[in-house]
Amino acid sequence: MNELNLWALGGTGLAAGFLGSMLGVGGGPIIVPVLTLALGLPIHVAIGSSLVAIVANSCTAAGIYTQARLTNVKLGLLLETTTTPGAIVGGFIAAVIAPSILSALFGLILIYTAYTMITRRHFMSDDTQPDSHIAQPNSTDNLSSSLSNSYYDQNLDKVVTYKVTHTPVGLGSSFFAGITSSLLGIGGGIVNVPVMHLVMGVPMKAAIATSTFIITITAAAGALIYYYHGYIYPIIIAPLVIGAVIGARLGAELAQRARGVLLRRIFGTFLFLVALLMFIRTANVV
Amino acid sequence: MERRNFKESRLNNWVSLIFRLGIAISLALVVIGLIILVVLSGTKDIQPLFRLDQIPAAIVISIGILILLLTPILPVLISVVTFWTERNKLYLGISTTVLFFLILSLILALT
Repeated sequence: MNELNLWALGGTGLAAGFLGSMLGVGGGPIIVPVLTLALGLPIHVAIGSSLVAIVANSCTAAGIYTQARLTNVKLGLLLETTTTPGAIVGGFIAAVIAPSILSALFGLILIYTAYTMITRRHFMSDDTQPDSHIAQPNSTDNLSSSLSNSYYDQNLDKVVTYKVTHTPVGLGSSFFAGITSSLLGIGGGIVNVPVMHLVMGVPMKAAIATSTFIITITAAAGALIYYYHGYIYPIIIAPLVIGAVIGARLGAELAQRARGVLLRRIFGTFLFLVALLMFIRTANVV
Repeated sequence: MERRNFKESRLNNWVSLIFRLGIAISLALVVIGLIILVVLSGTKDIQPLFRLDQIPAAIVISIGILILLLTPILPVLISVVTFWTERNKLYLGISTTVLFFLILSLILALT
């Protein structure tokens, strides 16, 4: 293996931490390609290192978001009940279906989701007119009503209250997020954030914060496995973690101050880029 | 409603505190390890498979990484305890299920 530059690793962690915490997606799509393609590390070491950096940046961001009441802990725990079984099932599916086929199919879904996130006007005003544009849950649905939450929006300078709807769809999608995270090596946040926001009526900032909370648990479970199998190289991880923590602080602070619409557009653009990367990988270009 | 908000704030406070403490301790160890590494190696270019003079740094960093990876499990445990003391059966079941699947996934992967 080549000699590695501490600054290059730290910079990679910083970029991943910033984007991952700002959008609630972890940062794996940035770290793994850089470590394998640019720094020439074996894929298992790259994924293990990426998972540790994701835990570092998501824990940092989760601490900030939870303190600011942006994280819906109950919703995060609820969705985690299907994400983890999904990840286990994904591990078994990987043995029977070619990941390239699933990668291409998932890329198509991502493009549709990205388009919806950027252009769907119905949801454009969800953080400027809380409640009025969000579907009300069935009054008999105790689970949905127990998930309602509120937070102070720094950008709007007011308290935003929201109710969570369509929990069965959310649970099903979260199961799918778990499958994709273990099967395709991408973070569940790419699925969870759009589902929470577009389907379950959760404001963009709360969706990002709650997704970050979910990622801490899922990524830690994965990283511990890589740790056990000896794929975690402390010398590589150290600068990555330091960069990720600094980047995550910056990303989380920016996300709290930014407009929800802007975050959604950046997220949509990010999804397009991830989809493009998946098509390139499927075509074996990279 | 006020009572419910107070309870949820308490859970949020605990979860936030755990994340911030976990990050602070692990980051401190990783930084100390990195300083030891740079001082002993005397260069900013490093080898991923460490040499003898890099072992002390690798041990300190490894402990920091382990603390970091165990940090996200604690909020789940705190949630179980909080919902149990509140006698909130619905969320006690949900948080216990998360803990169960977390342990199951680790067992499946390690065996």
